[in-house]
Amino acid sequence: MRLGFYSEMVRIRTYEEAIRRDYHADKTPAWDIGAGLIPGEMHLAAGQEPVAVGLCANLVQGDALTGPHRPHHLALAKGVDMKAMTAEIFGRTTGLGKGKGGHMHLFDPSQHFSCSGIIAEGYPVAVGQALAFRRRGTDNIAVAVAGEGAVNQGAFHEALNLASLWNLPVIFVIEDNDWAISVHRDSSTPVKDNAERAASYGIPSKRIEGNDVEAIYEASKQAVERARAGGGPSFLEVHTVRLWGHFEGDAQAYRGDELTEAESRDPIPLYATKLENAGILDEATAAAIKQTAVDEVEEAIAFAKASPEPAPSDAYLHVFA
Amino acid sequence: MSVVIEFPTLSKDEAAEGVLATWFVRSGETVKAGQVIAEVMVDKVSVDIEAPIAGVVTCLVEEEAAVIQGSPIAEIEG
Amino acid sequence: MTATETETRRITTAKAISEAIAQEMRANPDVFVMGEDVGTYGGIFGSTGGLYDEFGSERILDTPISETGFIGAGIGAAVEGLRPVVELMFVDFFGVCMDQIYNHMAKIHYESGGNVKVPMVLMMAVGGGYSDAAQHSQCLWATFAHMPGLKVVVPSNPYDAKGLMASAIQDDNPVLFMFHKGVMGLPWMAKNPRSIGDVPEERYTVPIGKANVAHEGSDVTVVSVSMSVQHCLDVAEALEGTTSVEVLDLRTIVPLDREAILKSVGKTGRLVIVDEDYKSFGLSGEVVATITDTDPRLLKAPVQRVAYPDVPVPYSRVLEYEALPTRDKIQKAIETVMKG
Repeated sequence: MRLGFYSEMVRIRTYEEAIRRDYHADKTPAWDIGAGLIPGEMHLAAGQEPVAVGLCANLVQGDALTGPHRPHHLALAKGVDMKAMTAEIFGRTTGLGKGKGGHMHLFDPSQHFSCSGIIAEGYPVAVGQALAFRRRGTDNIAVAVAGEGAVNQGAFHEALNLASLWNLPVIFVIEDNDWAISVHRDSSTPVKDNAERAASYGIPSKRIEGNDVEAIYEASKQAVERARAGGGPSFLEVHTVRLWGHFEGDAQAYRGDELTEAESRDPIPLYATKLENAGILDEATAAAIKQTAVDEVEEAIAFAKASPEPAPSDAYLHVFA
Repeated sequence: MSVVIEFPTLSKDEAAEGVLATWFVRSGETVKAGQVIAEVMVDKVSVDIEAPIAGVVTCLVEEEAAVIQGSPIAEIEG
Repeated sequence: MTATETETRRITTAKAISEAIAQEMRANPDVFVMGEDVGTYGGIFGSTGGLYDEFGSERILDTPISETGFIGAGIGAAVEGLRPVVELMFVDFFGVCMDQIYNHMAKIHYESGGNVKVPMVLMMAVGGGYSDAAQHSQCLWATFAHMPGLKVVVPSNPYDAKGLMASAIQDDNPVLFMFHKGVMGLPWMAKNPRSIGDVPEERYTVPIGKANVAHEGSDVTVVSVSMSVQHCLDVAEALEGTTSVEVLDLRTIVPLDREAILKSVGKTGRLVIVDEDYKSFGLSGEVVATITDTDPRLLKAPVQRVAYPDVPVPYSRVLEYEALPTRDKIQKAIETVMKG
C-alpha cells in the first residue's frame, strides 16, 4: 500500500510537471496568458499530492468529490481518466466537457467528480450529493475539498451547518497550503486551527500537520468510516505545501525566503526517504515508477494534442439538455 | 336534505371577526362532497371550507365580507 | 340527487402550484422539496400547502436561513439524479446565493459538455403592490433571463401555474419558476378574481417556451407576463367594442416564444408591452428587439412600454402605485399606440 501511495504521488507530480511544461512552452516570447495550446489560467498542485492520495485511497466507486480551482491531483487520485482530463485541459472535443469547461471545470460523472472556480462553492454541492446518497439508501459518501482561503466564505459555513443539522455522510477537507494567492492565512483568518471552527458546528474535526500521506490516509479513514456508518459529517484540515505559484505565471515575490523553506518540505522526496529507510523502495524501483508515470502522462498529452478542436458552432450546444 | 355551513371558530376570542376570503363556487353550482368551496380567515389563520355533502350550493355572504365566527356562510341542498 | 362529474374545479394559483408538486411527487419518488417554511407552514405564499401532511419531513425539508447552502445542496442532489424543487422565499434574496444559481446551476450542463444534468426547479415569489417596499417587491425575471443556462417560467393564472410547474419538474434542465404573489389568490392580500380559476384535477403539463393568446384581437398586441396579464385582460375586456385588443401572455421568458410575438404584431402592427420588472435593459426591450431584428416595418406606430420605472420600489402606497403598471396606464398606452 505504501508503495502505492508513493507511485500515485509520483504519477500526479509527473502530470503537473508536464502540464506546466506544455502550458508555458508556447507562450513566448512575451508571456501572453491567452496564447498557446493551453490558454487561460492554470493552477497546479505540486506539493499537495499527499492530500489527494491519502484521502482518495479510502473512497470507493460511487463516492463523490467536489474540488477547487486547483483540481488535477484530486481528479487523478479519484480515478478520473487521464486522457479525457488532459484533452479537456487542451480544449479538445475528446475532453471531459468537449472543450467547454477547461481546467477549472472538470466534470466526470462516472467518478462523481466535479470542480469549480468559485471558492468554497463545491461545499454546498457535496452536501446535496450526500443528501441524495442517503435518500437512495446507499452507503456512498461525498467529499468536498477547498483551500484554507475558503473558510471565510459564507458557503463554507452554510454547508457545515446544514451537514451537521441533517447528519449527512459528507467529509469536508481543507487543504491549508498557507497562501490564498498572495495572502497568508495569518492575514485572513483569526483562528489558528480551522478544526476549531468546524467543531463549533458540532462536527468531529481534526487538523493534520506534516503533509504526510499516511497520516492523511488514517485520518480520512476514520472520517469515511464514520460517514458510511451513519455517523454524519467530519472535517479535516490538512497542512500541506504549495510548491509553485498560485497560478502559473505567478512570480511569488510575496513569499520571499519562505519559498526556499517550502521547497525543503516537498513531500515526495521526503516520503521516498522514509520508504528507502524502511527497505520498501530502492533506486531501481523508483526509476521504474517514474518511467511508468512519464509514459502514461506523455501518452495522455499526445492524445490531447492529436485530438480535434471543437467546431466554432459547438459553442451553441449544450446550453440546455 | 339541506345542510347549513357555518364559519368555523378559528380564534379563541369568540367575538373575533373573520373574513370570507374567497369563494371557489357560485350560488346554484353543484358541488361534490369534500369539494373545497371557500377559503376563510381569522387573524391571518386561514382554512379551506369543504362541502359536507354533495348538492347545489347557495352562498350566503359576499366575498371579502366580514363574518362573525359561527354564523352561516353557505347552504347545500342535497 | 345528482352528482355532476366535474373534471375541473376552481382553485387558487397557490393551490394549483402545490397540487402540481404533489402529483409529480406521487409519480416520481426522486422529487422532493426544500426551502424556508415549506413544511408545516406550507410556504409563505402557499406554494407548498398540504405537502408536509402528505409526504412528511423526509421529502419536504424545512431549511435554515442558508440560501447558498440549500440551493447548492439542491444542485448536488440534482447532479446525482434526484429532482429537487427548491424555494427561494423572495426573488429579492437572490443576492445572497446568486453564485450557486448563475455560476453553478446554470452552467454545469454546458461546462460538462452535456454530460451532467441539473434537473432542478427553483421557485421564487416575485412582485409588489402590497407595500413590501424595495427589498421585497421586485420581479427581476430579466436579470435571470439574461444569463444563459436557466429556463424562466412565469405563470399568470392557476391553470398555467399547475401545468408549468409540472413541466418544470419534468424538465431535465434548471427551471426558475417565478410566481407573482398577487396571482396566488391568497386570502390575506387583495386579489384579482383571475387568481382563482378552473383547473383540471388530473396531472397535465403546459409546454415551456410557448406563449398563449389570452384574449384575441386585431387592433393592437399587448405582450405581458405574470400579474400584469390579469390587468391587461381587464383592460381588453373593458375596451371590447372600442378597440380589439390581443393579449399575449408570454408564460415563459426563457426560451422566449419570439414566433408568437412576431405573429401577433404581424397581424396588428401595434405593440404595447406591459412589464412589472424594471424598464431599462430588460424584458420589454427584448420584446421590441424581437420585432426590430426581424422587420421594424411591421410596426405602424412606436412601441409603448408600460414598465416599472428605473427606481427602487417605494414603500408609500401612493408612490408604489405611481410606479406600478396599472390598468389606467395600460389603457392609456393602448390609446396612444392606436393614434399612431
